[in-house]
Amino acid sequence: MGTQFESRPGAQPGAAAAQTSSETQELVRLLIDNIRDYAIITLDPRGCVLSWNAAAERLKGWTAEEIIGQHFSRFYPPEDLPSGKTEMELKVASQEGRFEDEGWRVRKDGSRFWANVIITALRDAEGRLRGFGKVTRDLTARREAEEKIRKQAHEILEMAAVPVVQVWDGILLVPLIGTLNSQRTQQLMDRLLNKVMETASPVALLDITGVPAIDTQTAQHLIETIAAVRLLGSEVVLTGVRPSIAQTLVHLGIDLSNVSTRSSLSAGLRTAFELLELRVTPRAAAGG
Amino acid sequence: MSDRSSISIIIVRKTLMVTVPSDPDDATVSALQEEVLAAMQRVDAKGVVLDISSVETLDSFFARTVAETASMVSLMGGRTVVVGMRPSVAVTATQIGITLGGIETALSVERALDLLDRPAAGRRARR
Repeated sequence: MGTQFESRPGAQPGAAAAQTSSETQELVRLLIDNIRDYAIITLDPRGCVLSWNAAAERLKGWTAEEIIGQHFSRFYPPEDLPSGKTEMELKVASQEGRFEDEGWRVRKDGSRFWANVIITALRDAEGRLRGFGKVTRDLTARREAEEKIRKQAHEILEMAAVPVVQVWDGILLVPLIGTLNSQRTQQLMDRLLNKVMETASPVALLDITGVPAIDTQTAQHLIETIAAVRLLGSEVVLTGVRPSIAQTLVHLGIDLSNVSTRSSLSAGLRTAFELLELRVTPRAAAGG
Repeated sequence: MSDRSSISIIIVRKTLMVTVPSDPDDATVSALQEEVLAAMQRVDAKGVVLDISSVETLDSFFARTVAETASMVSLMGGRTVVVGMRPSVAVTATQIGITLGGIETALSVERALDLLDRPAAGRRARR
């Protein structure tokens, strides 16, 4: 081995060298035995287990006596075996020196864990393949955390795509932001209709202030949504129809004559109050 | 066969409360129209509340018959309000272009009765 270990700073080379070397070997052995986070094992060139550290026993469940001599395919889920995954891994490791993988592995009790695995080819000074070193780390917790974050991000995105909020007893608001495609319309319809049912809201405000532009298809999507809400027995007020959108709608010949439309959300809210026969009055006036 | 036996018409405050069975076949739908019109004449009702909250699928025949019935009821001097359409039914209905011909709708039977107490076409005209 070409590596020099210097176990004690300032140690005298020469006389103590032999002793240091054996002490170093002992330390390396202790490192492998005591390390907690890495299952470190060695395999013979065919893939049968030669050595097994304490971390490997803790992670995978087998004791050294149980597993030494067994082929390392024992650690793989059954679906990986027919494809020859284990042979492939050893082949790559012996050709390229190392092989790295992340995937499911199996414990003695059959339960699975998400593992990062590095297989290193062990060659002697003459270049003969003596076996393989295999270092495995349990990344199940990290994977679960990542999965959770991914799911939350997806939920947030979906929520942000079509939020439906109740702004008043009986009044729902959908502030649409961005372009409305078929998929979003579908989401919008599902969410809005269910919310209308759930809250028994007679009025829904569909605000398109945040929609950059309207084309024939977008308008069609809006009309469909409005029609569906009406079938349930609720009224829709389309708000945020600014001058450019009004111009586009007329130029495209889109007929919204039987849809309530308002230029601003506040005007729409007023219309909603009218529909619900509610009146908002200043406090002073309310007294008299 | 679930013809006339499954259609329920209750008369409340000179209004026909009609409950449509969950999966009405064409014969049931046709029978429904006849029953509703006959009851309109019999009790001189001012309107019809059609509760379709148990209907899970809406086909074009059903939709056309409902729209037609509403027009007929209107000719006989009454108004029709459809109540309780499920969200999934509404989605399919708009996707295949069923509109119920601009029929009046309400979220609940209670609201439908309120609607019938008000002057006709008050809701849609108010824009």
